[in-house]
Amino acid sequence: MTRRLRRSDIAAAALTLLLGWLVIYPILTVGVDAAHPTALTAFFTRPGEWAALWASVWISLVSVILAAAIGVPLAFLFEWFDFPGRKTLGALIALPVVLPPLVGVIAFLFLYGESGFIARAIQSVLHLQNAPWRLQGAVAILLVHAYSMYVYFYLFTRAGLAKLDVSMLEAAQALGADRRATLWRVIVPLLRPSLVGAAMLTFMTALGSFSAPYIFGGGFRVMTTQIVATKLNGDLPLAMVETVALALVAVAGLVILRRTEGDDILVALGKGIAPRPRPIRRTSLRWLAAIAGWGLAVLLLLPHLTLGLVSLVPYGAWTTEILPPVINLENYRRLFSEAERLRPMWNSLWMAAASTAVAVALALAGGWLVVRRRVALRRAIEALLALPWALPGTVFAIALATTFSVHAPLQLRFVLVGTAVILPLAYLVRALPLTGRGILAAYRQLDPTLEEAAASLGAGRWRTLARVTLPQLRPGLAAGASLAFVAALGDIVASIVLYTYETRPVSIEILSSLRLAETGVAAAFGVVLMLVSAVVLGVGARR
Amino acid sequence: MTGFLQVHAIEKRWDHDVTVGPISLDIARGEILALLGPSGSGKTTMLRLLAGFETADGGRIAVANEDATSLPPARRRFGMVFQHYALFPHLDVGENVGFGLDNSPDRDAKIAAALGLVDLAGFERRKVHELSGGQQQRVALARALAPEPRVLLLDEPLSNLDPALRERTRHELREVIKRVGITTVFVTHEQEEAFDLGDRIAVLNQGRLEQVGVPDELYEHPTNLFVATFVGRANVFRGKSARALGANGEGVLVVRPERLRFAQAGLPGIVRERRYIGAAAFFLVEADDHERFEVLAEPDAAKVGARVYVEATRVIAL
Repeated sequence: MTRRLRRSDIAAAALTLLLGWLVIYPILTVGVDAAHPTALTAFFTRPGEWAALWASVWISLVSVILAAAIGVPLAFLFEWFDFPGRKTLGALIALPVVLPPLVGVIAFLFLYGESGFIARAIQSVLHLQNAPWRLQGAVAILLVHAYSMYVYFYLFTRAGLAKLDVSMLEAAQALGADRRATLWRVIVPLLRPSLVGAAMLTFMTALGSFSAPYIFGGGFRVMTTQIVATKLNGDLPLAMVETVALALVAVAGLVILRRTEGDDILVALGKGIAPRPRPIRRTSLRWLAAIAGWGLAVLLLLPHLTLGLVSLVPYGAWTTEILPPVINLENYRRLFSEAERLRPMWNSLWMAAASTAVAVALALAGGWLVVRRRVALRRAIEALLALPWALPGTVFAIALATTFSVHAPLQLRFVLVGTAVILPLAYLVRALPLTGRGILAAYRQLDPTLEEAAASLGAGRWRTLARVTLPQLRPGLAAGASLAFVAALGDIVASIVLYTYETRPVSIEILSSLRLAETGVAAAFGVVLMLVSAVVLGVGARR
Repeated sequence: MTGFLQVHAIEKRWDHDVTVGPISLDIARGEILALLGPSGSGKTTMLRLLAGFETADGGRIAVANEDATSLPPARRRFGMVFQHYALFPHLDVGENVGFGLDNSPDRDAKIAAALGLVDLAGFERRKVHELSGGQQQRVALARALAPEPRVLLLDEPLSNLDPALRERTRHELREVIKRVGITTVFVTHEQEEAFDLGDRIAVLNQGRLEQVGVPDELYEHPTNLFVATFVGRANVFRGKSARALGANGEGVLVVRPERLRFAQAGLPGIVRERRYIGAAAFFLVEADDHERFEVLAEPDAAKVGARVYVEATRVIAL
């Protein structure tokens, strides 16, 4: 035992150091390098900096409110009332969360943008000179955020409602509480952990959101776009100060929200029987609910349908008509036949696959050390695996750009920026919380006697891993890995800071296609990303 | 004769000075040994030391005169049936049973033979979760026996079955083990199970080995108070009560309820309760010193509230 323990302790120390080097070290490096007098002065004196930081905060807070306003009522509707199509719709409206944000944003642009489908239709019907609106600035960003982030509240609230014990509601009624009192005095307090969880996720996502402010922001800057702009202007020291500021806001936000979370009392009380969905009796109401539900689903899926349509329109064919005059597969043909268009696709695929594979391997090692060996460093390993979730992607992008653009082997800093390694490395850091969470949870549920049984039947360590442990971890592993792969595939936040022409991923190619007004090609790329993501997630979610 | 499985002064130290052992045991080839004790007595630790899942902090384990103390579980060739069976849920019955077998041409035949042994012939393609608890237990036994291990270890083999099934399974289990002739060690906290299934029983308490012996020996000649009271029902008498039942020294007297009977003279007391169990009844008698004890007698031997005298037909003096 002592010999084996020492070996796993050495492994734990090695893993902790590796994760620390990947996750903490770049952040610390930025923190230290940001203490640059001129950059600090610039940050504190320019009003634009403060405006961007403040914009990040209030945009995130309003996004939380809007997302809750849509997601929570939806959750109640789908969890408590039964109407035709409830199950299908319930799954469909969770869709936006699994698609790459950039795809959602350009889909939104093609539908609601000033030259989008709807604006075009109104312009054509009313014979207007100009587009009826310009989708730009804070309002546009909030619209996109609300549209994509309500899913967090929807899913978390539904999960919370599903855990509610029906006997608790009956107890409240037996004690004389009417519906309103039951809602406010029983249901809402019990849902609090779910609601706070959704709020945290929405806040963090909105704070780190890049595609929406980048494409719709116009002159309106939030911190993420401000950082990237500063970096592209070549003012790295100022970008570092901005990065530290954003990181501090993120940490402060998390700490404040966590305080309001409370204990998960639902878990403490054990499993209850959730109330069954109540069928709506009145025929007219039933139809109303069904129509409203289906209408909503169409509204929510319309951007993606538009994306599909735009991808079928060849370059320059669609000018002022309401509907495109020509529809063919020209864009897809170009996508798959032109070498320069195939390259980003290939880049995204291999970089996402490589980063996911390494993230899975690290999470497996972490799971084994934390859950099975219960090493002394288990808390450190778990914290390091989870940490990248707590900071916006832009922060890590700038941190990696800073740390790995210097050749100082003794400080463990190497020139990786500009090589093919840096983007997979960035994706890897972002993937760790996803694979880590999935695999650790699966490891905790894995009965240790299964591995002992394999050993007593003569199976060595690797055979046990391959034939017993991995098959048992498969659901959690596949879920984590597919989320990590899809996140890397559609990533833009890290890519825009770290890409080179040779290693440019699909997201960058979509942006440059948009810039060249090749909307069809951009849409086709978006559709491909969407399909690959959907297939990967579908495979990952299979039991 | 030295045993086939030898355990010499084996020891395991946990944190906070919780220690199991040193324990020495000699188990003959083909013998079934029960490790009996209350929870926390160290019996499961003992079994896991034998299996190799725990590493001993002292002492040695030898099988057929070959040292196995530091062999990892995978190379020990000890078969184990786990308390909750630990059947691999992603494999079917045949794959579970064949898990420990090499890819030899007669692999399928070996799987079939192992399943036949536990009366589950033809179950190869069944899913594990489709089986009843009793069937799962037998698959676990077949899986442990299939690689022809040197020793079979069973961790509370019957605790997961409902009581009606338990007694039948116990006999089937003993029959299979005896037919295979494998040296077996099993853990239980139930005296009846230990008596029924084991050839010999090792009683453990607080990490120490209290006594090893065949069932009759443990029941009739326990060497200490723990064994006397843990194995079977026992009344403990001290001082005046003990002397009234024939003790001549100052020691403690242990008398089984069936070795007490109502008589004309002896230890006086009042019947406080009667628990009827059909063929007989337990009478709870309170002696004058307010100590209570049990007498097993004919159902109508006494009435509640009656003043009685009790004498012993056989006593264990400790």
